[in-house]
Amino acid sequence: MAEYLLQMTGICKSFAGVHALDHVNFHIRPGKVMCLAGENGCGKSTLVKVISGVYIRDEGEVIFEDQKLDHITPAEATRLGIQVIYQDLSIFPNLTVRENLAINSEITARRKIVNQKRWDDTAREALSRIGYKIDLDAKMGELSVADKQLVAICRALLFNAKLIIMDEPTTALTKREVDALFKTVRQLKAEGIAIMFISHKVDEIFEISDDVCIMRNGKNVFEGPTAELTRDDFSYYMTGRRIRPEPFVPENISKDPVLEVEDLNLGRYYHDINFSLHKGEILGITGLLGSGRTELAMSLFGLMKPESGTIRLNGKEVRITSPVRAKELRIGYVPEDRLTEGLCMRQPIADNIMLASLNKVSHRGFLNHKRLFAEAEKWVKTFSIATDDAHKYAQTLSGGNQQKIVLSKWMNNDLDILILNGPTVGVDIGAKQDIHHLVHGLANNGLAVIIISDDIPEVVENCNRVIVMKDGGIVGELDGTDFTEQNITEIIH
Amino acid sequence: MSKSTWKRLIKRTEFYIFLVLIVLMVGVQIVSKGQLFEPTTMVTILRGMVVDGMFALISLIVMISGGFDMSFPAIAAFAYSASTTICVNNGWCKTNPLAGFLLAILFGAILGAFNGWIIANFKLNTMIVTLGTQTFFTGLTMGLFQMKEITSTLPASFRALGESYFFEVFNSQGQRSTMTTSILFLVIMIAVTSFVLRKTMFGRALYAIGGNETSAERAGYNVKRTKFILYVVVGALAGFIGMVRVCLARQSIPKAMVGKEMTIIPAVILGGASIFGGEGSVFGTICAIGIITVVSNSMLLVGIDSYWQDFFNGLIILIGITISAVQAKRQSR
Repeated sequence: MAEYLLQMTGICKSFAGVHALDHVNFHIRPGKVMCLAGENGCGKSTLVKVISGVYIRDEGEVIFEDQKLDHITPAEATRLGIQVIYQDLSIFPNLTVRENLAINSEITARRKIVNQKRWDDTAREALSRIGYKIDLDAKMGELSVADKQLVAICRALLFNAKLIIMDEPTTALTKREVDALFKTVRQLKAEGIAIMFISHKVDEIFEISDDVCIMRNGKNVFEGPTAELTRDDFSYYMTGRRIRPEPFVPENISKDPVLEVEDLNLGRYYHDINFSLHKGEILGITGLLGSGRTELAMSLFGLMKPESGTIRLNGKEVRITSPVRAKELRIGYVPEDRLTEGLCMRQPIADNIMLASLNKVSHRGFLNHKRLFAEAEKWVKTFSIATDDAHKYAQTLSGGNQQKIVLSKWMNNDLDILILNGPTVGVDIGAKQDIHHLVHGLANNGLAVIIISDDIPEVVENCNRVIVMKDGGIVGELDGTDFTEQNITEIIH
Repeated sequence: MSKSTWKRLIKRTEFYIFLVLIVLMVGVQIVSKGQLFEPTTMVTILRGMVVDGMFALISLIVMISGGFDMSFPAIAAFAYSASTTICVNNGWCKTNPLAGFLLAILFGAILGAFNGWIIANFKLNTMIVTLGTQTFFTGLTMGLFQMKEITSTLPASFRALGESYFFEVFNSQGQRSTMTTSILFLVIMIAVTSFVLRKTMFGRALYAIGGNETSAERAGYNVKRTKFILYVVVGALAGFIGMVRVCLARQSIPKAMVGKEMTIIPAVILGGASIFGGEGSVFGTICAIGIITVVSNSMLLVGIDSYWQDFFNGLIILIGITISAVQAKRQSR
């Protein structure tokens, strides 16, 4: 057997004069997991489409199993044993598991008539490949993401796959589901199938991959065994800059607390919550999923009503009954799921930035568009949001830049307290750094910030104090020299 | 029946629609003092289902593919008006209606191809496209070709086909009703549609496209071609069904189809087809058409003013759409 299953050398692809791929070299060994990493827009998906035959390369050589391929079509790629599992899994939610498993083979075989027996056999064969058990009559749309993924993998195996390309497969999975997926990946590996794993999650890449290829701006900047790569190098190759942790140093913490929470309770979500927050502080609230951290944050923004307890702002007792009231009390909240809760994706960037402060740019109920854009442009500059035109839709931006919009939306309101829930979930390393930097600046300008996150390194780097939650209660509060990753992890588990 | 099959059955809309139909019929039977299950009433109801049932089936296959065809009544009207006019002017179809039917099918296919071409090539919202072509086709019929009503001069073979029957029944007052032979068209179409949807790859392609168009494309279906063929077939069938209606009504009136889509499409939704595509069955659709026909016929039996018919039709539309939306919401969770 050849050393490499797939060799690609000097691959180029341009769209309208823009180099999406610029002399990319790429090797995949049989029975190995190769991770393709890179920030959004670096050319990862273009490369996948060249391999799967969706795009035709402009230049370069492709060798698959010692055979030189001049022109790859999607059908040809399938015949050779290249299968792509897209992020959306390409499933049919309205059909049964059986049909989802069998339909692709039936189409490829150019069948005209449906034979129940044959569909059933195909489906069973597909499941048996990885020993996965599921009700064949279940409707695909009713399965969990993890189950859908396994069905998609089984389906790919039907085509005698030699190379399975998985496009960001772990995005919607819980930690346990990721572990189960990795088990399957190792099983496939043992059978000699090569896996190309697209991801930008550092931990996962180091856990599962044998080889890594990192792309930046259409070029591959690193290719080689994972063992030869350190985490620092990894983020350097991803972003092109050395990311040094810049721990938050509080400059002026106010003497009196701006927020005091006393004996706050809400049913099964959280209980006996006591803490205070000063201006100029960044307070971390961490804990596992279901520890009550998100519910607590929502209560502080008037989205969930506490059953008992008191909240004081600047020494005065307040009742935060709704988000509108919270805004009046100068509290801002950036939700975890910015796509559905924080942004209007199909609205201009400028409108999104000004959404929470339209009264600033309107007169007697009439909007002044000129002022709106002038005001928005200011924030685009301050936050260096990567766009050439604030009239473009918010969905044209990457995750990190979208998050900057959500932040600027609240900056625009004069706030006392800003609550950030998972501020860098799904954000590239580079943009993450920018966001952290921004938040540090805000705190040092006198804002009180709460960061809610399960990313412990993030909490340690960006907060001066942390509250650890477990099963709805506060199980620890750390600051000063006690405030280390190890201590937090110990308290959580 | 195993437990899981039973569980799956009670989850399906079709099951409830069937129950509603049965309950409705029993209810009407009681209120109308036994008139519903009189042979004459049953025969009238079945006769009333022929055209609407076939229209519902073509709407169903479009909806399964994730589209809406608002233009089928306009296509039917153009096809039968043009076909009948040509037959009358040339003195065709005195003894055999075949030429008239073939012409209507041809015209229907051409207009359907126009729909299909726009939808497949420009990837536009099908409801908007067919709303546009509906107006355009009606304009062709009424404006450009100025097609006229044809009543007494209707070719003899059309009249004969419409009047032919399998058997006749009488009620207690001695009134006569006939079981039209055209019921055969509905039966054949039910059988063929079921077969195509369940047993052919073309049918499964429609479900697949309606479920997830991108996935269908990636799986290797030629989505563009499938859609084009679908709209051509639907157009051709609309022309055919229009001709059946001309024969049954024994007249060709270009305006007779106006607004038909507004009763047929909601009925199809009531029958379990999803407005988002990918769901729907022949059984549910026919049950829903049964409900609508029973309701409109029962008004007369029970003695409710016929103005109320719109009220009940509207109510059925709302119920049908609400069911569809609630189910979609439940699934997305």
